[in-house]
Amino acid sequence: MSRIGAQDLDGSVPRDAGRDLAARHGRPGDRLVSALAAARAATPDPVASWAPDVAASLGLPAAAALGPASYYADLAAPRGRRHVRVCSAAACFAARGGRHVAEVEAACGADAGTVSADGAVSVQAVRCLGFCYAGPAALDGRTPCTGARLAHQLAGREPPAAPDIPSFDTTGDPVLLGGITAGEPGWQMWPRVATAGTPEQVWSEVSASGLRGRGGAGFPVAAKWAAVRDTPGAVVVANGDEGDPGSYADRLLMEYDPDRVLEGIALACFACGAGEAVVLVRSEYPRALTRMRAAVARAYADGHLGNAVHGSTTSLDVRVVEGAGSYVAGEETALIAGLEGARGCTRPRPPYPTERGLWDAPTVVNNVETLAAVPWIVRRGGAAYAQRGTPDETGTKLVCLSERFAHPGAYEVELGTPIGRIVHTLGGDLRDGAQLAVLQVGGPLGGFLPADGLDVPLSEAGLAAHGASLGHAGMVAFDASLEPLDVLRHIWAFAAAESCGACSPCRVGSRRGLEFAQAGEPPGAAYAHMLRVLSEASLCAFGRRIPPAVRSLVRAYGDRLAGWEL
Amino acid sequence: MTDSVEIVVDGTSVRVPVGSSVLAALGAAGVWVPSLCHDDRFSPGGSCRTCLVRVDGRIAAACVTPAGPGARVEVESGGLRELRRDAVELIVSALPPHALTAGSSELADACGMLGIGIDAAQGAGGRGGDTSHPYVHLDRDLCIACGRCVHMCSEVQGTFALTLVGRGADTVVAPGTGGLWADSDCVACGGCVDTCPTGAITAPGAAAGITSAHPRMATTRTTCGYCGVGCTLDIVARDSGVAAVLPARDGPVNRGHACVKGRFAHGYLRSPERLTQPLLRRNGRLEPVGWDEALAYVARGFRDAVARGGPDAVGLISSARASNEENYLLQKFMRIAIGTNNIDNCSRLCHSPSAAGLTASFGLAGGTDSFDDVEQADCLLVVGANPVEAHPVVGARLLQRALRGAKLVVADPRAVGLARHADVHLRPRPGTNVALFHGLAHVLLAEGLADEDFLRERAAGLPELTRLLADYPPERVADITGVPAVQIVAAARLYGRAERPTIVYGLGVTEHLHGTDGVRTLANLAILRGAVGTERGYGVNPLRGQNNVQGASDMGALPDLLPGYGKVADPVARSRVEEVWGAAVPAAPGLRIPQMFAAARAGDLRALWVVGEDVCATDPDTTRINEALDTCPLVVCSELFLSETARRADVVLPVASWLEKDGTFVNFDRRFQRVRRAVEPPDGVRTDFAVAHALAAVLGADLGCPTPAAALDECARVAPHFAGLSHQRLDREGAIPWPCPHPDEPGEATLYRKRFATSDGKAHLAAAPYLPPGEQPDDAYPLVLVTGRRWAHYNSGSMTRRGGNLDLLPHDTLDLHRDDAARLGVRNGKPVTVESRHGRARLIARVSQDTAPGQVFCAFHFPSSGVNSLTSEHADTVTSCPEYKVTAVRVTLGEARTRR
Repeated sequence: MSRIGAQDLDGSVPRDAGRDLAARHGRPGDRLVSALAAARAATPDPVASWAPDVAASLGLPAAAALGPASYYADLAAPRGRRHVRVCSAAACFAARGGRHVAEVEAACGADAGTVSADGAVSVQAVRCLGFCYAGPAALDGRTPCTGARLAHQLAGREPPAAPDIPSFDTTGDPVLLGGITAGEPGWQMWPRVATAGTPEQVWSEVSASGLRGRGGAGFPVAAKWAAVRDTPGAVVVANGDEGDPGSYADRLLMEYDPDRVLEGIALACFACGAGEAVVLVRSEYPRALTRMRAAVARAYADGHLGNAVHGSTTSLDVRVVEGAGSYVAGEETALIAGLEGARGCTRPRPPYPTERGLWDAPTVVNNVETLAAVPWIVRRGGAAYAQRGTPDETGTKLVCLSERFAHPGAYEVELGTPIGRIVHTLGGDLRDGAQLAVLQVGGPLGGFLPADGLDVPLSEAGLAAHGASLGHAGMVAFDASLEPLDVLRHIWAFAAAESCGACSPCRVGSRRGLEFAQAGEPPGAAYAHMLRVLSEASLCAFGRRIPPAVRSLVRAYGDRLAGWEL
Repeated sequence: MTDSVEIVVDGTSVRVPVGSSVLAALGAAGVWVPSLCHDDRFSPGGSCRTCLVRVDGRIAAACVTPAGPGARVEVESGGLRELRRDAVELIVSALPPHALTAGSSELADACGMLGIGIDAAQGAGGRGGDTSHPYVHLDRDLCIACGRCVHMCSEVQGTFALTLVGRGADTVVAPGTGGLWADSDCVACGGCVDTCPTGAITAPGAAAGITSAHPRMATTRTTCGYCGVGCTLDIVARDSGVAAVLPARDGPVNRGHACVKGRFAHGYLRSPERLTQPLLRRNGRLEPVGWDEALAYVARGFRDAVARGGPDAVGLISSARASNEENYLLQKFMRIAIGTNNIDNCSRLCHSPSAAGLTASFGLAGGTDSFDDVEQADCLLVVGANPVEAHPVVGARLLQRALRGAKLVVADPRAVGLARHADVHLRPRPGTNVALFHGLAHVLLAEGLADEDFLRERAAGLPELTRLLADYPPERVADITGVPAVQIVAAARLYGRAERPTIVYGLGVTEHLHGTDGVRTLANLAILRGAVGTERGYGVNPLRGQNNVQGASDMGALPDLLPGYGKVADPVARSRVEEVWGAAVPAAPGLRIPQMFAAARAGDLRALWVVGEDVCATDPDTTRINEALDTCPLVVCSELFLSETARRADVVLPVASWLEKDGTFVNFDRRFQRVRRAVEPPDGVRTDFAVAHALAAVLGADLGCPTPAAALDECARVAPHFAGLSHQRLDREGAIPWPCPHPDEPGEATLYRKRFATSDGKAHLAAAPYLPPGEQPDDAYPLVLVTGRRWAHYNSGSMTRRGGNLDLLPHDTLDLHRDDAARLGVRNGKPVTVESRHGRARLIARVSQDTAPGQVFCAFHFPSSGVNSLTSEHADTVTSCPEYKVTAVRVTLGEARTRR
């Protein structure tokens, strides 16, 4: 089918000539990013000294490599022979007020973002490794180290310690944790569906289930699938770029039950008429990458994937792609940009990915947890799922509690479960008698609740009524030992570090916000104007959600952040 | 109307084309909002988020929001004005104060409109800059990461030299190679300079802060005088010099774009080497004299020549650089003031086979279609051309077309700019084009891809061609050309199966021993496919190398043709001219350029006037050219500089450049466009137009046509193709293509919709067999040299070597394949000597894989290299166009002495 003309028609649709160029040169896409990652892993030198050669090796102009190489944290950060990634995100910050970063730097002999003088060790501050239940955390190469004694582990004085994710079903009939807590094997439905089912049946059950996206946006899954169902060449992207600090639900599923995730992907592809799926796994989750890749290989070997699966007419290919370190690159348009080998920046919508996504193919981007619910829905029926949770927000959700809780871990709960119950009963309040000051729900774009304001149901509607957001439903407890202004600075520092820079409100606003917070003086009108521009005018939810998240923090701390309620 | 939608802007209905953005609708409604990342030349970025409005109740950036039918757009209500102001102020807050104080910019203007003061700019700066490049300077502190420069570089120019780097607040533009701008992939098209809204990227010097969106002062609109693309340029003059050259956003061909030459290479205008006084050779030395003395000397010389050898002892080489009106006047001068048809122009050396070939195939001596249509093609067959360097704006548009999905077949021995993006790159051995085209045609016929209805009704010569093509199956063509048969088949299928294919070609087709056969057999493909004169393709289109190659010939600066292509030998055509001129025109065709040199060497040509051509640098076999000039008793040279030719002349007349005169040019797709005096010529310098008149006056002849406008008016009376053209009309309407027989009807952009202009109204297929080139490599001269053009320079380099372009490309290089380089022990950047059977040149080696093994390439922009002493006197058998593209040479290490 000729692409000519499609882009000529619409004066409001952005065109990316670099993408057209890459399309003409064999769509290097993730091959470019992985080639850059390989080049980066071998050198402490600045990107400009090696990225152009990578581009040339793929027949691309130098700019095609320098742009992404300087954008993604993993590619931009210099590398020593040993590379230590230390988490500086919410739960690890909350664990010890962020003091661990300096300890790690001292233990490694290199500041974050640098290489030690002898080239032996490099340290990179990253935002969330998914060990929020055991923080602070670091990855020494691919080896996780966690806990208060983190620096000792990295210094070699103690062995690395990284407990498995504690996971609990609280529902009695787990949708997501059936494999992990009850040993239910994966791939129970797929052979039957692929050989005897119809896409319509799968779609109908998902539609009846009321399943919504679990990545934060909460868009009805069946509606998204319907948007691509009648267009050939559709692609499903499983978003395993679980960037929200405080959540490790996707890591749990990808590492401990990858078959369930893959079966969900297969069913989604089947329902969408897609012959191809891509699983994007963030680089901060090396074990999830390994296990997803192994699960994909197993699935091919067992005939779940590949040509004519189980003797049917359905063919399905799934590949796993590694991310390169960017929070915003988990946003669906940015994720697609990343898969195309570009800077992981948000693109304006329309066109929506379902119209024109990965290399212009109609593309469904679903979060890993969302997809993992699909096998249960297909097996037990959409109606059964719809009876769970609340009438408007059906089903169950994995809630991740941070290290400050007495009982941290991942809990499968019905949507609508009171947050107070999750905090007090499941989490057992804070450990060692510490007092909860504020509770962050749903990551940096979610919001904060005060310790005495937890009488809120776990649902988008419930949280929105309190100026917060469900997000990924990670819960990070900030105890009373932390200075409120430090928490505010932490939020702004995250925003400034992860803003992709594609739009001016967020590009400038995230840095300005950090400057205001660092100055520490209650700000004036300029801050208020900046927040308004950020929330009203930003290109994507990242910028738009920063002001409400910050405002909810200020509200949650009450008098202790007086002067910041703008 | 179904192709437009109505939307409501603050209560007022406006109608815009389907697919428009809300921002376009605001423009249509006359509503201004800031839009710092927007530029009509490329698609919207949606990045600055300042064009904020409310669309159906939701705040949106207007530039990336489609104007849906019935959309209700609020612009002023509910604090939107304040929101837009805050959005701009937030951007400004990160910039240092000089963002708003150091001259004008779109950003500064927007701040002025919104009431944002200088104190809003609170940034510390300190990010530094890059002033390494002669034409593009970067101030990182002013970069707002809007991406316009990157869009311009990728989406308009197609060089992909720029990218945003870093992320978040650290995002900033950088050359993709990461180092200095001067060392980057930048080809200095100036696109980033012209689009940058803040002054982060500027041209240094007088041009700083002047952009096509905000020229700041009066401009003079003219047409570029470099290549034949015909870019519309707006000239900003200051202090009697050119301050800036801006690409006209409404330029019909360039559409707001330009290249390193048109945009920046005007430094030569005020070069201290510029000639400002006539020079006369006395005692072997050229000495300054007054105009009267110089002209009297020339007139005397012409009279002497006529007295001794008759009018045909005088010859004139006119210039494809000069205007139509000057060419018209010069041919009239020769024909009535001297009485000879010995006038030719330098299209002889480039596209005379196009004129001959296209005329034979289709009836008219020009490209068949408008470039506007060519760019709609779904398959581009680009043959023997390197438009990315030689016709950059056309190259950019072709590349964008390919990036948008058109198939691209490039046929060129070298890996020219477009080749790296081609679906198929055919690399024939130099001199084997005819066989290649026959191979493609063979596949079209063999695979049923020919348009049989078209061939039956509108073409002649199919049986003869079919018989001939039987001898050109892909396997045999592969043997002749070196192009693998599978590629020949693939290319033919792409061309043959496309719905709207087009052919664009250059001098790689014409400059051969059988160049006219090359043009005709290339045209065969379009005829076989029914892709010419129909709506099923866009014909055959030559890329003209010089600004007015088309026009110089259109104006009759040819030995056998009168203005408008009437034949000199045709009494009817002659009488039509004679009636207007009131003077007799000699009936015998005159001498072609190579024949003039031969006649001079034989002593038959006794006076030669060379206008605006450096024949000693650019014509083939320099040694023989020099002999001709040395033998000829009077050589007159009209020039801007003391060129190689001027050095050998007896009289040198200092003349004006294209920026200093009035007239018209005809570009490669037959558009007449106005040329206007943007700056005054230096004192003492005259236009070619004025010189022709003055010389005629000394000779006692009156050429009429006192002004350029009058000259075109007279030409319109003489030549039916141009009857509808005049300066007044061009001033009113802009570009007009010929044929244009009526003043009140548009010109014909697309030819042959009803019938071909041949005698029988049909397109003529050519059954010319492949014949080998004149030059063949042997053991002594084992390599084949191809010559051509480099991106930063132009022809003899007289205009591009005097200014910043010299920094971009300081010397000629010899491209050779790394295998040959290894065998010869040649290393990149080292001097080499190139020798042919005709001469010797000295160049710097450039080792690459751009050329195939066994082939070498160089340009001839630096006469001191002596490249054209290498080239031969072999020439197209039909038109005498030199075989520049095939010379057998050998390459040796080191600097041998060059012959000068």
